[in-house]
Amino acid sequence: MESLTENKKDRRKISWQMVGLAAGLLLSITIFIFVTLTISRLLEARSSKKPVPKAPEIKLQETEKTGWSGSQISPVHRIPLMDEFNQKIIPAASDSLPFSARNTCGPCHNYDQISQGTHFNFRLRPETDRPTEPWVLVDDKVGTQLPVSYQNYPGLWSPEKLGLSAWQFVNLFGRNLNGGGPGEPAEKEITPDSRWNVSGKLEINCLGCHNKSPLQDHSEWVKQVMRQNFRWAATAASGLGEVVGMASRLPSTWSVVDGPNPDDHEWAVAPQVKYNQSFFDSKNNAVLDLAHQPEDSRCLACHSVTPRKVQTKAAVERDVHSMAGLKCTDCHRNDLTHEMIRGFEGQKVSSSNLKAEDFTCAGCHLGQKPEKGGIGFAGLLGAPRPAHKGIPKIHFERLSCTTCHSGPLPEKEPQEVYTSRANRLGVFGKAHWTSEYPVILEPVFVREKDEKIYPERMMWPAFWAEKKGKDLVPVESQEILKTAPEVFQLKENVASLLNSLLPLAEEGFYPAVVISEYLFEPNADGGLDFRSLEKSPLVGKAGQGKFRLVQVRKDEVKPLLPAFNPEEAPAELEDKILRALQALKSQAGVKEPALEAGKFIYKITEGYLDKAEKGGEPAAEPEIGWLEEENLRPLLSDFQVRTLEKLNAGQEILTEEQVALVLEKLSRANPQKEFAYVAAGRVFSLGKDGKLKVSEHPAAKPISWPLAHNVRPAQQALGKNGCTDCHSPDSRVFFGKVEASSPLKTSWKEAKLQADWMKTGTLFQFLFGFTFLVRPAFKLLLAACLLLMGLILLVVVVRITGKISGIKDNGQKPESRR
Amino acid sequence: MIFGITSFLLIVALNLRLTFGRYLRRLPEEKRKINSENFKGYIHWIVSWKKSFLKLERWDRCLDYLIAWGQKNYPGWTVWVFYALVLSYIYLALSGFIFAWFVPRGLYGFPLLLHVAAGALFAICLTIILFIKARVYLPEKVEEEASKESDYGFYCPLLHKSFPRLYLQAVAFWVFVLAGFLLVASTLGSMLPYFNFPAQIFFFHLHRWSALASVLAACLAIDVMIVE
Repeated sequence: MESLTENKKDRRKISWQMVGLAAGLLLSITIFIFVTLTISRLLEARSSKKPVPKAPEIKLQETEKTGWSGSQISPVHRIPLMDEFNQKIIPAASDSLPFSARNTCGPCHNYDQISQGTHFNFRLRPETDRPTEPWVLVDDKVGTQLPVSYQNYPGLWSPEKLGLSAWQFVNLFGRNLNGGGPGEPAEKEITPDSRWNVSGKLEINCLGCHNKSPLQDHSEWVKQVMRQNFRWAATAASGLGEVVGMASRLPSTWSVVDGPNPDDHEWAVAPQVKYNQSFFDSKNNAVLDLAHQPEDSRCLACHSVTPRKVQTKAAVERDVHSMAGLKCTDCHRNDLTHEMIRGFEGQKVSSSNLKAEDFTCAGCHLGQKPEKGGIGFAGLLGAPRPAHKGIPKIHFERLSCTTCHSGPLPEKEPQEVYTSRANRLGVFGKAHWTSEYPVILEPVFVREKDEKIYPERMMWPAFWAEKKGKDLVPVESQEILKTAPEVFQLKENVASLLNSLLPLAEEGFYPAVVISEYLFEPNADGGLDFRSLEKSPLVGKAGQGKFRLVQVRKDEVKPLLPAFNPEEAPAELEDKILRALQALKSQAGVKEPALEAGKFIYKITEGYLDKAEKGGEPAAEPEIGWLEEENLRPLLSDFQVRTLEKLNAGQEILTEEQVALVLEKLSRANPQKEFAYVAAGRVFSLGKDGKLKVSEHPAAKPISWPLAHNVRPAQQALGKNGCTDCHSPDSRVFFGKVEASSPLKTSWKEAKLQADWMKTGTLFQFLFGFTFLVRPAFKLLLAACLLLMGLILLVVVVRITGKISGIKDNGQKPESRR
Repeated sequence: MIFGITSFLLIVALNLRLTFGRYLRRLPEEKRKINSENFKGYIHWIVSWKKSFLKLERWDRCLDYLIAWGQKNYPGWTVWVFYALVLSYIYLALSGFIFAWFVPRGLYGFPLLLHVAAGALFAICLTIILFIKARVYLPEKVEEEASKESDYGFYCPLLHKSFPRLYLQAVAFWVFVLAGFLLVASTLGSMLPYFNFPAQIFFFHLHRWSALASVLAACLAIDVMIVE
């Protein structure tokens, strides 16, 4: 054991050999680590692509690209039209696609930049932008007029809040959209209900504004948009080609590459364009007549406003600037960014290179302020500099220029106007496009957040709502209509009944009904039109709740059923009775139509006319109606007559009774929910007693937006005739009555004075106005005081001057002076 | 802003100066100096004033004094003109300056209506008072009357000199009248349909600064004319 231990000790002895081995090993490890690290660094450098030796940087100086050559003239646009696949359009080809503005105009004019312009970027408007006219969602069947806007101001409903997808928005309001924005939704905005693949995107319609061609047709644009022919709309509206077919009738699986539908040439016809080859040269380039500054008519297609009381186009007043020869775009300018100069004080442009303040009223009419003396420079475009003589400075601090200079002169009540976008003006066709709703009033003088008063256009929202906590959430019109169709389709039902009586009318005549002082007659749209009667048998209390069936030919009105002897009734007449009763039966359902004449009653039995003797008194006049338990009930129900009597010639479409009925039906159908109808600045809901009760809510408040045009001449500005233009005890400016307009006929409508909207206080304005009656005397009094004081002061000054100069002897006697 | 600060400082400064002068006049002539001791005494004096003015009785006495002063200086019906002038002027000054100092919008609403009405009354009264009193403050009369005064009455601590109160009364009177004239002129000017916007701005400023001059003159008048 010991010898083994000794051997081990010997082995542990450090030898030079061992030291050398260890050193060699250490060196090898060091070299290995060094080599490994170097290689890994090299590999890392290569993989991160770091420029190992830093090359000198070369960069071009940034220049502002305006796309303008400097020339004042616009080039002739002899350009190839490109379709949405960026293929050149061959006009003679039978399968040509519509042109795409993105691919046709885009190569020279930055499409993406333009798409951020005012007319296209509704969703990205700067917050500083002041309120502008909203889109109005109108359904005149159920009495809805809901202001929709991407702007975030009280009373406006955003499409998101209403659950409107881009697809729905474009379908509702595309008639006045210029394309772009919601018309070109991003992939994530495409909802399952949409049919963008069929309709195509609604690209920016450059030609809608810039086309000088007389063929440019706004109505055609509207027609194409209504047909969901979005990708074809610009081509059709420009007049470059003719478009047939309707994308709205195509199956949702259809795509533009599928081409025409060979199986259907009548109904589901795929849209096709047939280009007008006279607009193309031999190289298939289109020759377009384009304007750098759009014509006024292009702007007015969407921006015109017309007083409802004006009966003829010739009586419409024009803006003083237009009369002076200015075009809309002379003031409302834009550069390539298409960010419009709107012309109001305080507009902040975000991308335009133009200065917004140069194109406000003051920018043009006051021009540059004088600096270090002088009178400064007049404004743009030769605008006259106003003197505003005698107008105290408070007016310039508290009133916008438009208060005195724009809109119609104030009357006892603001006037009702149509606007292009709200009431569908400027759309021409067989149908009557102008809609009565919404009713917009102007001018209403409103004090805005900047404490200035502006003349504005105002409308009251009207909608069916579900109460959710404190909020009122609009309910879809279709849901409401489904719940109470007979309430809303009252006029249509009456019209339909009247149309059924056509066999009874003489040749050339058609049936109508007289209620109160009005004649109600069916129209081509299936509704009822009314005419006032000079003489009516149903005037006053005696005629209340009654109706009389008549037949009408132009201005000739006579009873529908002349008296006849049923015992000797001609076969021809009985045939007419049969056809009328059959027509009534076809739409009456379970009810049995019948005609009573003398002591006989006509009804249909097994398809034949059955004349039977009736019990009781003989009828004084032939009468048609419904047979119920051997009694003849009137053709029109009490509810129908009462409603028509109440609505008569007014523009309202609903009565309080109708509203109560609908609310009752809604509550029955959805007992867990609470409903209301918002109209006329009030909220109508059912009380516990089942009666209609009225309350207030912010959602019922009107919305308004400043108006700027028409600007009146200075000679017609408020104040031209002095202070009493506005300041008098019966001033129309302050005491004009602003009454809510709505689809509901109600006495509960919100009514305020102009002074209330201005927040100036009515009593104060009355007293202040009153002082102007004595103001001439006040001025004379002050002038007299001034004269007397002035004379005395003059005497004093003369005496002091005399004393100082020595002219006056200071009371010293001549002797003493000597 | 400039007007607000300037007017406030000027009115406060003038009143401090006038009351300080009054305080000094209470001291023996050799002690009428500007020094810390007198300032301390002045502050104590003012504080004692403040205390006494908190009592309604003091105001009552002031009113009695003013009525008596009016009756003494304005015989017969003219005293009513004086009272009307004082009342209208108090309202005009208070409404004008309070709104100018504390309301960014300036004078408006019912106070403005009353301001205009009071302005008319003021203009009439001022004209009548001017008619009655102008002869008293004509330069030669003032000189003549001042030479008769034994006690000059208005001590200037800076110059260590007393001035005849009549001189200052005349100054206060004519400045008040001149300022009133400008106030009326600027009011009338802004109502006439002959002046454009820059002129309206001018009238506005003229009215404000004239009002300041008027108030300063009124303060001086109270000190040298009314308060014995």
